[in-house]
Amino acid sequence: MSFDAGRRRSLSVSLLGLVLGAGIWEYVGRHTQKSSFASFSATVSALWHMTASGELPRALRSSLELFAAGLGIAIVIGFLLGLVMARIEIVRTGLEPYVAMLYATPMVALIPAILAMFGFEFRAKLIVVVMFGIWPVLINTLEGARSVNPELIEVAKSYRSKELQLWGHVIIPYTLPFTMTGVRQSIARCLIGMIASEFLLSANGLGNLILIYTQRFDTAHVLAAVLSITLLATLLMGIGRGLENYFARWKVGV
Amino acid sequence: MSAVPQSAPLVRPFVLNPGVRKLAIRIGTGILLLALWEGLVTWLAPSYVARPSGVARVLPRVVSSAEFRSDAKVTVVSVFEGLGIGVVLGVVVGLTMGRLRDVDALLRFYVSSFFAMPLIALVPVMTLWFGYTGTVRLVIVSFGAFLPVCLNVYDGTRKLPAQYVEVADSYHARWWNVWFGIALPASLPYLLAGFRLAAGRALVAAVIAEYLVSLKGLGYFILYDSRTFHQNEAAVAVIALALLGVAINSAAGFATRRLLPWYRPS
Amino acid sequence: MTRHDDGVTLPAAPSAGRIEIDGLAKRFGPLSVFEDINLTIGEREIVSIVGPSGCGKTTMLRCIDGLVKPDGGEVRIDGQRVTTPPRGVAVVFQHFGLFPWKTVFENVAYGLRLSGVPKKQIEASVLRHIELVGLAGFEKAYPYQLSGGMQQRTGLARALATEPQVLLMDEPFASIDAQTREILQFELLRIWESRPTSMVFVTHSIEEAVLMGDRVVVLRGRPSSIHEVIETGLPRPRTREVLSSPRFNEVREHVWSTLMQEAEQAERELQESR
Repeated sequence: MSFDAGRRRSLSVSLLGLVLGAGIWEYVGRHTQKSSFASFSATVSALWHMTASGELPRALRSSLELFAAGLGIAIVIGFLLGLVMARIEIVRTGLEPYVAMLYATPMVALIPAILAMFGFEFRAKLIVVVMFGIWPVLINTLEGARSVNPELIEVAKSYRSKELQLWGHVIIPYTLPFTMTGVRQSIARCLIGMIASEFLLSANGLGNLILIYTQRFDTAHVLAAVLSITLLATLLMGIGRGLENYFARWKVGV
Repeated sequence: MSAVPQSAPLVRPFVLNPGVRKLAIRIGTGILLLALWEGLVTWLAPSYVARPSGVARVLPRVVSSAEFRSDAKVTVVSVFEGLGIGVVLGVVVGLTMGRLRDVDALLRFYVSSFFAMPLIALVPVMTLWFGYTGTVRLVIVSFGAFLPVCLNVYDGTRKLPAQYVEVADSYHARWWNVWFGIALPASLPYLLAGFRLAAGRALVAAVIAEYLVSLKGLGYFILYDSRTFHQNEAAVAVIALALLGVAINSAAGFATRRLLPWYRPS
Repeated sequence: MTRHDDGVTLPAAPSAGRIEIDGLAKRFGPLSVFEDINLTIGEREIVSIVGPSGCGKTTMLRCIDGLVKPDGGEVRIDGQRVTTPPRGVAVVFQHFGLFPWKTVFENVAYGLRLSGVPKKQIEASVLRHIELVGLAGFEKAYPYQLSGGMQQRTGLARALATEPQVLLMDEPFASIDAQTREILQFELLRIWESRPTSMVFVTHSIEEAVLMGDRVVVLRGRPSSIHEVIETGLPRPRTREVLSSPRFNEVREHVWSTLMQEAEQAERELQESR
């Protein structure tokens, strides 16, 4: 089979998979109770109604504000702390085990404590999202900045690079692809943090839509909200992957 | 003597006995962090908020209480059940997707979409399907564990060096020899990396399910004690979950070294 | 030196030709790699195939093992047409092809295990062959713990353990350093003397081709075809003295000038095409 024929076949099987998926969803939805599952068509029409009424755009905006602020703070703190840990050995040695521990801790377990200390408004939710997202950026940045080829640093020094130039020309460009791998992982984790904080702290945004329509047993609207979260997540992950590829464009075989 | 530096100039040379120095720095940092936590909470937060001294005071009582132990057992058991189901399914599906192009084309979209989205968004609607039962937790934990394992095994199988398959072919290997004798062992490092991700996701899923479905377990223990102003007791359960996370992670690391002595990360 | 004689391939006596290559051709898309390859290899004969990189000699070897399907012609081994890798044929790869998760023992056992040989027998045979290639004591080592030379000894033991009647060598020593390569060449010759098989030895090293082969097949042109088949006429068993013999130098110089002509011609064509 030639390369093109193989691609064409893959593409058509993928399309078949989508059609099949939608078909099964429609069939199951039509043959179960409305209060437990909704068909594909009912979900799409619920999605349309929620969009037209402005309910979904409002929720999306509220969720995205939380997400973007949280991710932004997580990236800045994670990146800087990662560089500091890479550069200053004593900080790295001291913090490494605790960072690893926090990375392995399910951050949702901290939500009740955050609620107790910071209430349940935007500030508390922001802290939750940051706590979810900071670790992959930090750990990957640290790993990247630590693995800079010493020969490159030698070259830079032989050209009389100043410390700042060394960072600008060598260490940071080398580290960014690692950081971006972390950012992609952080995007996924921040989304979990966003939904978790909307479920458990003040109910806004997409999480709130899921909660209220579940209470009304309106599965079409619940699935529509889940579907829009999935689309949003896929889009954001795509952006993350694009960033990763962009910053790693000088690497071979990426 | 060579003039090339032996290690990255980012690392400063050690002076003390490196092991002792490292341990001292780590313990020192730990004490510093605890002091910071104690100080900040005492200074800024209401008196019921957890602090190290309070946690230390309640720790023996909580850990020896029957309630805590049975809650911890429920959570640990359900996490391991879910991980078991997720890993087995993930290996089977990942291997199949990696070896069969049509299955890959058919499923890739679904697997990567579910992997990207926050699965916990499904917990509320799952209460409509399974009621307020432990099934919700088991399903969400299994699914959460399945996705990273499946994607990683898929990735590992796709990156299988063609030369291994060529050798197998030249020795008359059948398809099952290639799948289980070559593709599977070659993707074991990927499987273990996926398992670490899976363990993290499984824990988050279990705790969220316990919160939202009010299921007996460490998550609900935390929620209940926090709401009744027993923050120190809740913190014990948080620490237990953290230790569980660290333990699973270290076990995976240990397994990588022990079960894959041949593996050299490039 | 005899020119290659077409048309000797068809019904030959079984003892005369173990491997018969008959009008073999291979294309990659529109690009023809080689065409009209006719060659017969005897039962206890080593035939070296030498040619510039990209001439398709490695692909030809894969066609002989049935790993790659030719676009024209066929290969017969003991009169049987090759479509999939036949029993009794073993390949030693340039890339070694050792499974990193298997120890030396397990790697050498691979071929026997796949053909369902009883466990006891596998163990005895594997240990014997590890010994034969000089790796005794390294049974439990993993490939990453071995040098390149030792890795290829393992690859050789794996091939020999299946007790093949045909050995196909795909530039087996090309990624090994020069000194080790020479040691392995004579080691292979020693082993071959103790159990002679048909062997096809693909290489880009002219010295190696002449040292190993009873005949040296020179591939030339684009698409490449057999330009010349040279009887080396060197005595066996071959030892290091062969390397300094006048005949060895004569053959080597001849092959070298043949391939140089081609290289110069290719360069000229490249110049003209600019």
